[in-house]
Amino acid sequence: MQVEVNLSGYPSTRTKNMSTQYSILFKQEHAHDDAIWTAAWGKSEADGTETIITGSLDDMVKVWKWSDEKLELQWSLEGHQLGVVSVDISHNGAIAASSSLDAHIRLWDLESGKQIKSMDAGPVDAWTVAFSPDSKYIATGSHLGKVNIFGVESGKKEYSLDTRGKFILSIAYSPDGKYLASGAIDGIINIFDIATGKLLHTLEGHAMPIRSLTFSPDSQLLVTASDDGYIKIYDVQHANLAATLSGHGSWVLNVAFSPDDSHFVSSSSDKSVKVWDASSRACINTFFDHQDQVWSVKYNSTGSKIISAGDDRAIHIYDCPM
Amino acid sequence: MASFGWKRKVGEKVSKSAVQQFEAEAEKAPDDGGKQDEEVDWLHAIKRRREVLLEDCAAKSKRLKDEGAVLAEQGRHWEAIKKWDEAIHLTPENSSLYEMKSQVLTILQEVFPAVKAAEMAVKFRPLWWEGWQTLGRAQLNLGEVDLAVRSFQVAIHLCPSERTLWQEDLLWASRLQKQHTANNDKIRQEEETKNQILNAPELEQDYDFESDEVLAACVAVAERETRYEELKRTAVVMDAEGNIKNVLTGEEGSEDTVTPSKEQFVKARGL
Repeated sequence: MQVEVNLSGYPSTRTKNMSTQYSILFKQEHAHDDAIWTAAWGKSEADGTETIITGSLDDMVKVWKWSDEKLELQWSLEGHQLGVVSVDISHNGAIAASSSLDAHIRLWDLESGKQIKSMDAGPVDAWTVAFSPDSKYIATGSHLGKVNIFGVESGKKEYSLDTRGKFILSIAYSPDGKYLASGAIDGIINIFDIATGKLLHTLEGHAMPIRSLTFSPDSQLLVTASDDGYIKIYDVQHANLAATLSGHGSWVLNVAFSPDDSHFVSSSSDKSVKVWDASSRACINTFFDHQDQVWSVKYNSTGSKIISAGDDRAIHIYDCPM
Repeated sequence: MASFGWKRKVGEKVSKSAVQQFEAEAEKAPDDGGKQDEEVDWLHAIKRRREVLLEDCAAKSKRLKDEGAVLAEQGRHWEAIKKWDEAIHLTPENSSLYEMKSQVLTILQEVFPAVKAAEMAVKFRPLWWEGWQTLGRAQLNLGEVDLAVRSFQVAIHLCPSERTLWQEDLLWASRLQKQHTANNDKIRQEEETKNQILNAPELEQDYDFESDEVLAACVAVAERETRYEELKRTAVVMDAEGNIKNVLTGEEGSEDTVTPSKEQFVKARGL
């Protein structure tokens, strides 16, 4: 349905492209005054509008509306004193969370563009932020290897999970709400059972920092991206390594799964964005449109679009065949 | 088999005497002996010599780098820089050479060249956090506080587990940045007050000299002047927690100076 709405205003050649092949659809040059480190794509449950959020080294969080195949700046959110490391959008599309090098996690109301809360995570203790599937909590990693869980309502630290490891760079909830995975700077992956708070698996996946990890929508697979240039796929239940993928020429900075379980996308310091087939585990498309390293890549809620952003301050939107 | 000879290429534009001289030398050469294989193929011989040269560059650069490091450790900084400059000439894209050079230039208080060298280091190796740290420190020495804060942030983003980046570099630089802004604010405030004294709004209107209005206007002007004097006497100081305050310096008019004895003030280094 969503796709049809998007198609209506477009010439026939374009609509053909949209359904059969990968292509770049939109570029927003100079979206920030400095490198863009993070991006998120959300959809409002209330009115179905699509929102993109970007966070940058220029201390700003920007909120963009995606409509009519165009990006429109909706809010520039000021408040962070230093660069914004990570952003996420709640699953109902109403609230955004951002973390910064200033050690604060801020919650923003996307409707009004106002700050709801500011939480002091303590020095060095706010890196990747991730909403829980019920959007009641926000998880973030800390430098002592603890995963701190903040309450969205309370604005306070509710509890924490201890990996007894090193600095946690990346965090992901499984969509079924059962697991939480963390990736550390020394390449160790930890998987927790959320209900019991117990550490289920410790995987020595990579020898280098894991900057991103993501569960598949059916919560069966975990995909990890590392500075060693490899992407690894794990079977969550048995903690088996299912595949190791190579293709990027430098650090792999971000990975994201498509909502229909069929593909995932990765971005890298080699300036490329790669789309991978989840079943054949082959790279099926490479975008080489950025001028510098690409820090963030995400799918939209239907899997028809991909967003990427990076050090060249540009936001790119790509079309995906459905 | 036809043998190779220069004669075939001799055209009208080549002088005869030169050709003869060349041929004479060419005949002499094989007589030297031991270099038989070199006349097999000129092309390959040239190519091989270049390979040998390339290897030499890398090896020599490495040796010069190590020599420079030893010199730098002994405090012979300029000599170290000379070695590294030679090495950079041989391997112009080796970022660690630039980075080391920047550190030593910083020691020598050559602030601008230090920034330049560190900029080269991050240009050739943008994912190396230590290069960004060195760049930030060089920028801080140059007084470019904003740029330094940015460089330290990039370094932290690449390697957030490095504690010194957080606790020494970024903390210090952002403190300086805060103080910088506070200072600028104060200067602006001072300027504004001064302007108001010079063009006081009270002086612009006419007064009935027998009314109280005149008195009120005089009081207002006097108050403004005291405020300016007070502003002039205060200095922006940051306490141990990084809070910024305006404190009386107490050089003149010390009778009303509030002594900040209870708090420990950290005097920021000059920008």
